[in-house]
Amino acid sequence: MNACELLDTPDVELYYYDELDPEDGARVAAHLRHCAACRQRLDDLHAIRRALASAPAAEAPPADDWSGFMRRLDEAVGLERPPSGVRTILERHAGQWRARHLVALAALFAIVVTGVIMAARVRSHRPADVVAGGAVTTPPASAHGDSSPDGPDAKSAGAKGERALREVSAEHLERSKLVVLGLAGRDPHETHAADWQFERQLAGTLLPETRLYRLTAQERGVNDVARVMRDLETVLIEASMSDGRDQASLERVQRLIARRGLVSKMQIVASSAGL
Amino acid sequence: MDVGYRATVDSDLIARAAAGDGPAFHALVERHRAMVYRLAFQFAGNHHDAEDIAQDVFIKVYRSLDRFRHDAQVTSWLYRIVMNACIDHRRRSAPAGWAPFTEDAELRMANTPEDGPGPEEQAYGGQLGEVLTSEIARLPPGQRLVFTMRHHEGLKLSEIAGALGLAEGTVKRQLHAAVHRLRAALTSARVTTGGRA
Repeated sequence: MNACELLDTPDVELYYYDELDPEDGARVAAHLRHCAACRQRLDDLHAIRRALASAPAAEAPPADDWSGFMRRLDEAVGLERPPSGVRTILERHAGQWRARHLVALAALFAIVVTGVIMAARVRSHRPADVVAGGAVTTPPASAHGDSSPDGPDAKSAGAKGERALREVSAEHLERSKLVVLGLAGRDPHETHAADWQFERQLAGTLLPETRLYRLTAQERGVNDVARVMRDLETVLIEASMSDGRDQASLERVQRLIARRGLVSKMQIVASSAGL
Repeated sequence: MDVGYRATVDSDLIARAAAGDGPAFHALVERHRAMVYRLAFQFAGNHHDAEDIAQDVFIKVYRSLDRFRHDAQVTSWLYRIVMNACIDHRRRSAPAGWAPFTEDAELRMANTPEDGPGPEEQAYGGQLGEVLTSEIARLPPGQRLVFTMRHHEGLKLSEIAGALGLAEGTVKRQLHAAVHRLRAALTSARVTTGGRA
């Protein structure tokens, strides 16, 4: 079969999709009458349409359940400054967060203080004296020499303390993830300083709590939480210290996030807490 | 969707949302999320990534509410955001050196198929629709978007060019290249299945 003049042109596709003007359409229609190869190309397009029409189209998340999608979207845009309005969603959320943070921080503080007191008691008392009076930390092994408080009550209290730490850490990571994803998802070539000013400010506000969680996790030997908090802290420092005016600063933050696999680590720790 | 917004046109929803009306933003999302999701799924090929892309799209929509030009088509504006979100997603998950969707990158993209099983393997195990769906997933991103917008969404090439900010000639070439590859997959599938497909 000889090659026809339309072989390397998009004319048959344009004819099929009705994209040609009437004159060109008539020309291609005339060509098709005597060119078997182009008729085959046209038939192929019909076959492609039929085949794809039989394939199911995905128009919604599995089970057609948009609730999770809408909830996450609300959370995400709740962190953004709306274009106008006197009291923003962010400000309302920030108020709620501050209240929740205070509760979480108070709980953490109580855990740490109780842990320190219990550790001190262990030093001067026999192990049986270590009785859980609620959320109690597991004292470091060095605090009690060879006689570790490994009774069931102490173990249970330690487990409770770790679980509480994991839960508040996971909530903190969930909040921080929005900032981290916001930083990671930007195009440095199209991002001006004002575009990510919000993330930089939020990074600064998240920093003290991140540090507190890291120190607490280190002290309690919850190593995976300590590691992810350390990485998050590094990223937040880099972001909050940047003036955002040069493209390289955002790229540096993004490299940090990628190199440390921060998003994955945050997800792992959050899911280990059941969130 | 809030029944109060059913009759409200998109541009009014955008204006209300920009003024801080949360339910108006929800109504806008609910009205367009299926289209956005469908495009994202065509691009990404799986629910997880499609959901991520769709999330990104509506976050960007929210951020840009006050920048929407009210003389513009809402759908064209949305398509543009979807395209950028798809490209951003691809860039984040692609190895270094992946070319963005620009005129300069066109040739490179046309010759850079995605990883995945080829049509031969697919044809042995399944229907022709699956073979073609698989081949669409292997198209370079630009071709995949143009083909999806024309074939699945029924947009005219001029609309696609407008939405993607490309010359119409570029869109035609992308479509031509996509169809060429799908046609090759179709032929290969027919050969391997003995013409049953």
